[in-house]
Amino acid sequence: MVQNKYIIFVFRLIVGGTFIWAGILKIIDPLEFAQNISNYRVFSRIVSFFLALILPWVEVICGFFLILGFLRRGSALLLSLLLFSFLGLIGVTLIRGINIDCGCFGSLNRKLDISLFFTDLVLLLMCLNIYFFRLK
Amino acid sequence: MAIILILASFFGLGLNFSLLKMFWRGGFRQGFVSLEKYPSLSFITLEEAEELFVQSQAIFVDSRPRLQYLEGHILGAINIPYDEFNEAEVLKGGQLSFDKTLVVYCDASECQSSLALSKALNKMGFTEIMIFFGGWEEWKKRGLPTESGDGSK
Repeated sequence: MVQNKYIIFVFRLIVGGTFIWAGILKIIDPLEFAQNISNYRVFSRIVSFFLALILPWVEVICGFFLILGFLRRGSALLLSLLLFSFLGLIGVTLIRGINIDCGCFGSLNRKLDISLFFTDLVLLLMCLNIYFFRLK
Repeated sequence: MAIILILASFFGLGLNFSLLKMFWRGGFRQGFVSLEKYPSLSFITLEEAEELFVQSQAIFVDSRPRLQYLEGHILGAINIPYDEFNEAEVLKGGQLSFDKTLVVYCDASECQSSLALSKALNKMGFTEIMIFFGGWEEWKKRGLPTESGDGSK
C-alpha cells in the first residue's frame, strides 16, 4: 500500500476525475445506459432501469467527494465495491462470449474487452490505496 | 456511504421523473430507447412484420453476424452485421432505400444488435425503421418463409 500523501492525492484526482467523467456522460443519456446494462443479460428490465438512473449519480458524487476530500474513505469504499462488481461482470461477460459495448462512458462506445478489465483493476488498486491510507 | 446512496437516489430519481412515469406506464418493454431522440424508430410484433412481408412493403434487414445470416434468415432479407457496421459500406451497397420502410431484426428479443443498428440507421437519415423484436427465432417458429446462404447479398 502506498503511504505517500502526494501519491494518494494523485490517485484521488485520477479515480475521482474518471468517475465524474464517466458518470456525467451516463447522466446525459440514462436510457442509453439502461440499454447498455440490459445488454449484459444479467439484470432484469426493472433492475437495469433503476441502476441506470442511480448508478451514474453515485459515480459523480463519489468522484467529487474523493477529489474534495469529503467522506473520502466512504467514497473510496463505495467505488471499490463498484469496481469489484464491474470486474466480476466483465469477467462473466467475457467468459460467456457476449460481444457488447461496455457502456462505461455513456454513448462514447468502447467495446468490452480484456483491456477494460485491466483498466478497472488499476482503478480498483488506486481506490483501495485511498481507502486504507489513513490507517497507516 | 448511506449519505452518498441517498443523495444519488434523490438526484437520479428526482431528475428523471418523466422517465419513471413512462416506465411505470409500461414503457421501454422492448428496449430502452428515447423515441424523441430517435424519431424514426418503432417496435413491431410478429403479426405486423408478417403483414409488411406479405405486402412487400419493406426491406428486411438482418443485423446478426454474417455466419448466422448464412445459416438462415427471413426470405429476401439483406445482411448488415452490426459488428461490422460502416456507414460508407451501407450507402455503397445501395440495397437500402431512404424512402422505404426498414424492418430490422436479430435473434430474439434479448439480442441488442437490431436496436443498435436501428439507432445507427436513424442517425444516417432513414426515416422509417421498425424493429421486429421477436426476431429470427419467432419468425422461424411460426414457419414463415426463410432462406439460407447468400440469397440477397
